[in-house]
Amino acid sequence: MNWKTDINTGKVLCLLCDKLHDADKTVCSRCGGHLHQRRPFALLRTFNFSLVAIFFLIPANLLPIMHVTSLGTVESRTIMDGIVHFFSTGSYFIGSVVFIASIAVPFIKLSVLLYLIYIAKFEKYQQAMQGIKYYRMINLIGKWSMLDVFVIALMVAMVQFQKIATINTGPAAISFTVAVIATIIATKSFDPRQLWRNSSL
Amino acid sequence: MRETACHECGVIVNKPKLDREHQFYCPRCNATIYRPGQRMRYVVVMALSSIIFLIPALFLPLLSLNIAGIEQMTTLVGAIASFFDDGYDLLAFVVLITGIIAPLTMLLMVLLILIPTRMGMKVRNVAPIFIIYEYLLEWGMGEVYLVSIFVSMIKLQEMSMLVIGIGLYLFVGFLLTFFITILWFNPHDIWHKYELED
Repeated sequence: MNWKTDINTGKVLCLLCDKLHDADKTVCSRCGGHLHQRRPFALLRTFNFSLVAIFFLIPANLLPIMHVTSLGTVESRTIMDGIVHFFSTGSYFIGSVVFIASIAVPFIKLSVLLYLIYIAKFEKYQQAMQGIKYYRMINLIGKWSMLDVFVIALMVAMVQFQKIATINTGPAAISFTVAVIATIIATKSFDPRQLWRNSSL
Repeated sequence: MRETACHECGVIVNKPKLDREHQFYCPRCNATIYRPGQRMRYVVVMALSSIIFLIPALFLPLLSLNIAGIEQMTTLVGAIASFFDDGYDLLAFVVLITGIIAPLTMLLMVLLILIPTRMGMKVRNVAPIFIIYEYLLEWGMGEVYLVSIFVSMIKLQEMSMLVIGIGLYLFVGFLLTFFITILWFNPHDIWHKYELED
């Protein structure tokens, strides 16, 4: 089925106020927003920020995310150590929540982003409907990977009992945060309209 | 009939006469084209009550823990400040923005969009605020902060007696009213009277 789209009818949509203009316009006459038929450099941006996220996820998972000091002994824990600790002490539910938020969500997000780039770049338009579903999903779950960072903030604030027990932030917290922010920017830069066959072929 | 295009696949769709009651979806990709909002005055009331919940929640005790006679207490802001104390300034900054400042700014933006336009200001003049609002939608993480409080509560309970402070209840109240505001506020509604003009 051939759809009437903004590109093959020579129109451009203002994403701010939903007004439809002729394609040669660059500024929206109603709200003053900038007009682009597709977000400029969308694919390149998405790809680059995904690479940044992949790069920062490596130290995020290998370095300790918190240092636990109790009765003189310092124990450094990575993200995975924390999850294993939950499961070994029997808190299966909370262990799975942290696992999903800090390991599964970034992994799913990056796979989906690369898949979306693949569809748009190699014009696999018959997979667009799949792609758009995944795109909506990562838009929803994206921010939940920040969960662990907030947990660490609270643990560091609460557990300050000098010699008995103290928790401090580890360097992985910062690389993890950078990775999460990069995946959010990558998702925001992507233009889902590039998934569809929009030119008149 | 006015024409518009789908944000997620670019298909041209004819907008039927908007009655602010029905929701419309894209025929090709099923994206929401129009979502009805609540009356503006209800949105303003909800945004104001949300701000009233948040301000005391920031500084009142959230959780407190007692180990061997030492009492440790934190607040919403205090938890974030602990990153500063550990020397992770950038991290503290990011968490502060996503956890607290972004949701609060969004509420202020809702008020800054709705009150001046209701008093007769041109919608075009509040367009920059509108851009910031749309942008912040992705960056507000108040709900993630709340769930992380529950996760740390379970962790902390193993250590010692944990006391829940008034700050947590206020924060829950803030998030409830915040999400009602976001749900009720449909920023595209403010452009409606312009639909008829041009």
